Amino acid sequence: MAPISIRLDRVSKRFDHTVKGEVYAVREVSLSVAEGELLTLLGPSGCGKSTTLRMIAGFEEPDEGMISIDGRDVTHVLPNQRGIGFMFQNYALFPHLSVFENVAYGLRVQGKPAAEIARAVGEVLELVGLANYERQQPHQLSGGEQQRVALARAVVFQPKVLLFDEPLSNLDAKLRVEMREEIRSLQKRVGITTVYVTHDQEEAMAISDRIAVMERGEVVQDGTAQDLYYRPASEFVARFIGRTNIVPARVLSPTEVEVEGVRIAFSSGLAAGQAVRLVVRPEMIDLHPAAAGSSGVAEITHHTFLGEKTDYQAKLGALSLQATASDHYRKPVLDIGQPVAVRFHAQGIHVLK
Amino acid sequence: MASRGFASEGRRVLRDPVLLGVIVVLWLLLALFVLYPLTVLLVRAFSDEGRLTLEPLLGSLGDAGHRAAFFNSLILAATVGVLGTLLGFLFALTATRTGLGRRWLTLLDAAALLPLVSPPFTTSIAIIFSFGPRGFISHHLLGFDNVSAYGFVSTALAETLTYFPFAYLTLRPIIAAIDPNLEEMAFSLGGSRWRIFRTVTVPLAIPGFANAFLLLFAASLADFATPLILAGNSFPVLPTQAYLQITGMFDFKGGAVLSLMLLVPAAVVYLLQRYWVGRRTYVTVTGKVGQRSRTRAIAPWASAALVVATVMVAVSILYFYALLVFASAVVAFGANNSFTWHHYAVIFTEGVPAIRDTLIIALIGMPLGGLYGVLVGYLIARRRFPGRQAMEIVSMINYALPGTIVGIAYLIAFNDPPIALTGGAMIIVACYVFRYSPTGIRATVALLSQIDRSLEEASSSLGAGSGETFRRVTLPLIAPAFFAGLGVVFIRSMTAISATIFLVSLSWTLITVRILENMTEMALGPAAAFSVFVIVVVFAVVSVLSAILARLRTATAGAAARSLLGG
Repeated sequence: MAPISIRLDRVSKRFDHTVKGEVYAVREVSLSVAEGELLTLLGPSGCGKSTTLRMIAGFEEPDEGMISIDGRDVTHVLPNQRGIGFMFQNYALFPHLSVFENVAYGLRVQGKPAAEIARAVGEVLELVGLANYERQQPHQLSGGEQQRVALARAVVFQPKVLLFDEPLSNLDAKLRVEMREEIRSLQKRVGITTVYVTHDQEEAMAISDRIAVMERGEVVQDGTAQDLYYRPASEFVARFIGRTNIVPARVLSPTEVEVEGVRIAFSSGLAAGQAVRLVVRPEMIDLHPAAAGSSGVAEITHHTFLGEKTDYQAKLGALSLQATASDHYRKPVLDIGQPVAVRFHAQGIHVLK
Repeated sequence: MASRGFASEGRRVLRDPVLLGVIVVLWLLLALFVLYPLTVLLVRAFSDEGRLTLEPLLGSLGDAGHRAAFFNSLILAATVGVLGTLLGFLFALTATRTGLGRRWLTLLDAAALLPLVSPPFTTSIAIIFSFGPRGFISHHLLGFDNVSAYGFVSTALAETLTYFPFAYLTLRPIIAAIDPNLEEMAFSLGGSRWRIFRTVTVPLAIPGFANAFLLLFAASLADFATPLILAGNSFPVLPTQAYLQITGMFDFKGGAVLSLMLLVPAAVVYLLQRYWVGRRTYVTVTGKVGQRSRTRAIAPWASAALVVATVMVAVSILYFYALLVFASAVVAFGANNSFTWHHYAVIFTEGVPAIRDTLIIALIGMPLGGLYGVLVGYLIARRRFPGRQAMEIVSMINYALPGTIVGIAYLIAFNDPPIALTGGAMIIVACYVFRYSPTGIRATVALLSQIDRSLEEASSSLGAGSGETFRRVTLPLIAPAFFAGLGVVFIRSMTAISATIFLVSLSWTLITVRILENMTEMALGPAAAFSVFVIVVVFAVVSVLSAILARLRTATAGAAARSLLGG
């Protein structure tokens, strides 16, 4: 395992709310990011992810806790002495400076000689695919180009750490996918430690080595995309990452559970008679045409054909289940009202604690 | 903010030596040039041989002459407020609702803006030339002899014409922003034009009316120059009485008390304007202009009447200025109207010291005032530090106070050791900087509120300290506010008199003071020539600054708006 680059130790940030009084924007957050790793802070708006990022950058100061970068305690160090590159949601390009001067800014501040600045800026603009854009003004650029300039500006002075605050939210869907791949490949090439903030779970899964999910100022789970998807720590995480069914079930024996009359061979290791909730992703449910009336038979209430897959909703007793099928090239799409047998794939199922 | 926030703000400032240094220096300056003089003035007015007393104030209130001056001031201010607001409304309505052509609008704007860039006696001189004993209108056209141009009516007229542009500038954007579609919709619903005007247009403009009235009220209350020339003995007002008390009788305490009687109405008006009216605007500017539909909400005959009335007023203002130019170039206005350069020869020989001193003071005050305004505005708008709100309030004090109070306070405070500055140029510069830079402060705050904070954070993350960020990023972006603030300080340095009349000396004098001396010596020719000179210089400087501002706007402000507001 690579050495730790960024460490947050029980960091808290409070603010005064006019109605609620003192509230925690961030509460006892502990995190560590290994050198060269890309960690994403993921959560809905207001969960404290941006505040956490801004504390790493030094724009906000924690009320409690400690932040270190490369072993140095920076909790109370000003942002300009931290050696970080920061990408803003609105790019924050200097409107009065050309593309060249925007990118050169950090080097000028360091007092680098002109020849070196020209070389470094040229190289990094080449890297982000904007060679020959030096003389353009920011307002002449498209959103994607502004994004690249901001990226070039943030990496040109070789910061120890790169921080992204929802950098893609102002771009259209197609460009968003393109840019996130570019950011990821650049980050890997340069091997720079990165913290990335987003509320878009797909973006998080596509770009990250590791994801920390935040809810109401706290980190509720921290792991790889697969950890979060298959082994969510809470209903919140399960619902936030991907689509899901939260299914109440009864333990029949340590190796069998029952959902609305459907028995599933599943080793939960739990004692018989317990009530549990299962996380079942839509692709873990198979629906097959069946005769109406028998137990464990559901009825299709909704279907959406999306080409590569079809999304179903089926009513099983009191439950409404989401299911996905991706094999309609070889069997017909099920009709609304059609009775179906429900089969759960036990390997994917996860018991909520 | 809780005390914890206060402590953490304080800690952050302590770690940033540039920021800390700037804050400390600004506070020292504010203490010296705002708080200290005002304190000394209050102490002088309310103490007698070392003990606190209200006797001087009560004595002053007991004096019938002083009471009359107090009420005269209020009556004059109210009259000017009402008349000026009506005149401003007339101009604003004509400019926005009658579909006048560009050329006519330029004429209106010129007539409305001339008084703003003129030295204080311009209208007064023109009124004497028109309505005095040998006035062009009173004597030559109407054939009266020995009419008096002095008193309440002429003072109110002169102040209305001088200050109504404030009302025009306040009301015009408000009326322009009332969507003509709103009026047209009401029209299409079957309302009569008069009814729509009464029930839609006027109510929407009410906050504007209140604001305009208060601005004019404050300006008239503080006006010193016009009543000094025109009010005469029959209509004493507070600023002139305070001046006479000090220069005539060397009674500093009496002058201080009289000036403080101005303080109460001035403070009430200022607070009303700032915290009550200033926040009630119904009209929101959306930036969506759309087509300017030719509004039908005003009947053609009413539109014609508006245009005629407005053009008449505009023409009479232009006539006043033409008269001034004419009088500056004839031997003796009304008596001998043959052309001469003599008055200009006088001001460019005998008048050179005043011109030189004024220009030196204006040129020193200009960059200092511009920088001070931008720095304070930046700190107020962008930085969190203990005492921020206090700084905002203190920085506005000298601006809000009538000039007479500020002048007398400076005179008393800096006349003796420990800080004896009177007689020098520095005290006049300081007076202008702290009195007129708040325009720059407000402009900076307004501009910064449109510039996203992330720009400064970006600079900081790229390694720049707060000083470097200010110099490389913030300052270029708020340059328009810098030049606007600098322009105001220059204009006022050329045209103001109410505060600095107390601060001039044998070694440093001002053009405006020379104009006043000329007026009292009845040397109206040189007074007119001086006034023309000031107007020309101010006009030239304002033109240059506008050109700079226009260039800046395309280079940064426009770009800033495009790239920062929502990407």
